[in-house]
Amino acid sequence: MTITDLDLQYFVSSLKTLSRYDLSNYSDKSLKRRLQKVLEDYNTTIIGLINRMMNDQLFVEKVVRDITVNTTELFRDPPVWHLLRSRVLPRFKDNSTINIWHAGCSTGQEVYSMMILLHEMGMFDRAKIFASDINTDVLDTAKHGVYKYRFNLNYLDNFDKVIKQNPLNFDEYKDVPYEKYFDIDKQKDIMQMKPFLVSKPIFRKHDLVTEGNIFYNKFDLIMCRNVIIYFNYALQNKVFELFHSNLYPKGGLVLGLHESILGPWASKFERLGQSYVKK
Amino acid sequence: MHKAVIIGGSAGSFQVITRILSAMPANFPLPVLLCLHRLKHVRSGFVEALSIKSSIPVIEPMDKEQIKPGRAYLAPANYHMYIELGNKIALSTEEPVNHSRPSIDLSFITAAQVYREKLIGIILSGANRDGAYGLKRVKDHGGMAIVQDPEECQVKTMTDTSLKMTKVDHIFNTNEIIRFLQKIKHP
Repeated sequence: MTITDLDLQYFVSSLKTLSRYDLSNYSDKSLKRRLQKVLEDYNTTIIGLINRMMNDQLFVEKVVRDITVNTTELFRDPPVWHLLRSRVLPRFKDNSTINIWHAGCSTGQEVYSMMILLHEMGMFDRAKIFASDINTDVLDTAKHGVYKYRFNLNYLDNFDKVIKQNPLNFDEYKDVPYEKYFDIDKQKDIMQMKPFLVSKPIFRKHDLVTEGNIFYNKFDLIMCRNVIIYFNYALQNKVFELFHSNLYPKGGLVLGLHESILGPWASKFERLGQSYVKK
Repeated sequence: MHKAVIIGGSAGSFQVITRILSAMPANFPLPVLLCLHRLKHVRSGFVEALSIKSSIPVIEPMDKEQIKPGRAYLAPANYHMYIELGNKIALSTEEPVNHSRPSIDLSFITAAQVYREKLIGIILSGANRDGAYGLKRVKDHGGMAIVQDPEECQVKTMTDTSLKMTKVDHIFNTNEIIRFLQKIKHP
């Protein structure tokens, strides 16, 4: 069964009435596909789904969790991490505190990547890490910092590229052991982040679309990678406005490798490689 | 007549796609959408390798980038590439489909919905079923379905599965694909 525009509209407007979630500015294509998958998983129709949502608030939350995309990895796109290491983070080297917000952090691998990098750069203790996502299931995973090992083998490859090697000087090699930051248990097929990393971030449930800044802090750096691809142009602009008004002057914004600021907010940021700096 | 060409390939398709791109007229009137699987560790350098010989620009598009004729759009590593109404690219990090991200099926299905009978879909050599269902959707929407001659393919899984699923318009070897594309004129 294919989901029509009308089905989608019906679902979005029902959800808006039944909860405070507003998906009306989400990118149609991915929303349709996600919704289709939800219908298949629950073996139901749009009507059936919405009827059930009307009678069960917990089910509404579950559907929202199923419909949002939650993929992330440790040190995804090593060149971006090279940029953070060589050009973005050094700008905050002399700050007494460094506030970083991971907006749409999903299961948290990027939050841990950031903390590992900060630790290697001697900036860990001065950093305050804030992380948020709309989905409480993935936040729970993020809070525990336990990941499947085999499924994520390429993480180690990325770790080597970002932490052990220096892209500006390939002769340089720092043999940082994985056990410094996480323990691998091949029998149980898990990797567990070290307690000093797990206890640091403040994780909060947050909807980028309907809520403002919930952390009562301004930020030196905002990481929001592969989140806005699911938003339409109007909603993207709203999010850029939120980011811009909550960054310190010269604060940094890092988006996904294939995301960019289009429209009016582009002129309020300068480019620094793949990243943005608030003017 | 036609509005876009979409090409999917996996193992054994790199040289074919290089030959096709190098034989394209510089003023090719349509956009070319490329969804090619790549090895996990070869994440960068692919677009550069394709660009060297291509006679049209090869781009790894940004999300929501406008699609223009005479350019080849390569699905970026680790993203699905969708085609959206309004002639735009949309990228997604959703779970892999058929163990693949980018998934050829997803690019073909979404392109078929947008361009319908004005789409030409081409499936090349590959060791995976990904793309076969997508080509069927192209045909279902009235588009043209072309499969590389399995006799010529390094790996036939993708073309064989496609031929089983869809009554295609043409089975072409690389030279025939090139001649076919060269004949496409400005609408």
